[in-house]
Amino acid sequence: MTEYHLGVGILSFAHMHAYTYADILRRMPSVRIQAVADFDEERGRAAQARFGGAFYQDYQALLTRDDIEAVIVCSENSRHAEMVIAAAQAHKHVLCEKPMATRVEDAQRMIETCRQHGVKLQIAFPVRYCSPLRRLKQTVDAGRLGRIVAIRGTNHGQNPGGWFVERQWSGGGAVMDHTVHVVDIMRWLTHSEVREVYAEIDTRFYDIETDDCGLLMLEFDNGVFASHDPSWSRPQTYPTWGDVTLEVVGTEGITRVDALAQHLNVYQDQEGRYQHVFFGDSMDAGLLTDFVACVRTDKEPFISGEDGLRALEVTLAAYESAQSGRPVRLR
Amino acid sequence: MSRLKVAVVGAGTMGTVHSEAYREMADVDLVGILDIRPEAAQRLAARRETAAYTTLNALIQAAQPDVVDVCVPTYLHRQVVEAAAVAGCHVICEKPIARTLADAEAMIRVCQAAGVKLYIAHVVRFFPEYRRAHDLVCDGAVGRVGVVRAMRGGAFPVGWEDWYANVAKCGTVIVDSMIHDFDFLRWCFGEVDRVYAKSQLGRDMVQSDHAFVSLRFQNGVIAHVEGTWAYPSGFYTELEMAGAKGLIEFRSQDAIAVHTQIRQSERAHAGVQVPESPLVKSPYQLELEHFLECIRRDVQPLVTAEDACKALEISLAALASARAGKPVRLAQTPNTTASVQERLTRGNQDD
Repeated sequence: MTEYHLGVGILSFAHMHAYTYADILRRMPSVRIQAVADFDEERGRAAQARFGGAFYQDYQALLTRDDIEAVIVCSENSRHAEMVIAAAQAHKHVLCEKPMATRVEDAQRMIETCRQHGVKLQIAFPVRYCSPLRRLKQTVDAGRLGRIVAIRGTNHGQNPGGWFVERQWSGGGAVMDHTVHVVDIMRWLTHSEVREVYAEIDTRFYDIETDDCGLLMLEFDNGVFASHDPSWSRPQTYPTWGDVTLEVVGTEGITRVDALAQHLNVYQDQEGRYQHVFFGDSMDAGLLTDFVACVRTDKEPFISGEDGLRALEVTLAAYESAQSGRPVRLR
Repeated sequence: MSRLKVAVVGAGTMGTVHSEAYREMADVDLVGILDIRPEAAQRLAARRETAAYTTLNALIQAAQPDVVDVCVPTYLHRQVVEAAAVAGCHVICEKPIARTLADAEAMIRVCQAAGVKLYIAHVVRFFPEYRRAHDLVCDGAVGRVGVVRAMRGGAFPVGWEDWYANVAKCGTVIVDSMIHDFDFLRWCFGEVDRVYAKSQLGRDMVQSDHAFVSLRFQNGVIAHVEGTWAYPSGFYTELEMAGAKGLIEFRSQDAIAVHTQIRQSERAHAGVQVPESPLVKSPYQLELEHFLECIRRDVQPLVTAEDACKALEISLAALASARAGKPVRLAQTPNTTASVQERLTRGNQDD
């Protein structure tokens, strides 16, 4: 019996998660990174040297390869749509970095094209594979908290700089970058959609053209209310990149989750600060293992294009609300 | 007037805490404890080695206090405060100052007319963690502040006639508890421009209450305030202030300096856990000593009755927002004290 290998291509290393994904894929025995593509030749060649495979400056050329069944799209947010649609037309399955797009029309076209060409579209919401959040999901699904009343989320970070703070490429700053993960988790937990969004959004930490902080207040169809803070409010001396926290308040109890709590406190004089060294499970590994399994066994992805679209709608509604000063009704 | 005679009205949770603090003060005579429930008054008075009363008249005539400390449910503040003021006593009153702005403003007017002080016990300004955070942030320790997060709460409070569950008497967790953070944040960042709130108000809230409040200050600071009475047990506070040059974080759970576990025994059926953050003087004692010092020296307190009115305004705006599902703008009041004073002379109505 011939050993099966899933051939994978990586479309752009613009988003730093591409390196984490490529590292994980390289170590998976059933996966081969056949090629990488990047508009930025220097960045792409460096990635090729690190992860192997061929290099293409033009991703369309990568898509013509028959030994590639699936691609990982990690370009700038506003380029996702073009690349995902091209990949689908070339009959490649797609794992797309979040947020899936910067406009609802783009996200809809991405979903539609993947459906037409019969390829999988999974959105990179790895937080669903975070072990503490999976435990929360089990606790909620088992009814141990009773009925959910309210959820409070945070996904703080630091300003990533680069194209993330150029609206043309990112579509927005902190709110665009750090809203979708937690909104996706809230939808997953409540089995309900966000009905209304109110938000305060501003640029208060950095001299940049995009927003760097915000606060979202959400109402779900089933009456659950929630708040979420996506701000890039962690200073440079913070011991880790940021946080993902959730508090679920139910009629029978509460659960608090800190996705990064499993860490060592490490103090090193030469670093000039103290740092957290994470020892929990890799959520990115969970995401990629599931994506590869979906492609191999022809299973529907656990996180779909629709999930990506719903989270994007909430993000865009937040910008609209902050602009108008009024809550925005989604459904 | 170096020794002061103080009487405590209300033998519930706060009356217990305040009377204990007075007993720690060398220059204060705790001259009586009043509660309309004779047994409650007797029990606490016995513990504090003072006299028990069941009516304010009897207390004032017999004990002749210089100061009356009002620790009754919020909706009863006005009647007790006004009676004590008219009798010539200075007044310390638990927060919130009142359930409505009309009551609050009437109390301030009556105390002014009677020539007595009125201090509202916004004790959070006296908690050393909050005070340190305030001083740091005001000294520019984290640069320009962007987003602030405050959390306060735990189990649903137990009170006389379950008044905490009565929206008209208590005003939910938003008016009763989150007002602490509203006052604290206003102390740090000035006046609030707009408020948006989500809470269990108008949903089912049987012995459970939870709220998220979004505040936008006139200086641009965005604040998220969470208040809860939905936890099965415990009490927690958290504070986070993020600026362009740094971050201040506080979690009460991380400040537990002493953690004791008592082995299960015949005397203690379940194993008992006792978390403690001990201080030489409790924040309550610091607060009450400060108010008494202001009476002795006739100086402005750290937190005024007008500040308490403004904090109530924020709470009521949050309540209105939660009800209407819309943001509520506060009246543009660049100068706090003047505007409250202005309304007091007009004798405004509200709520």
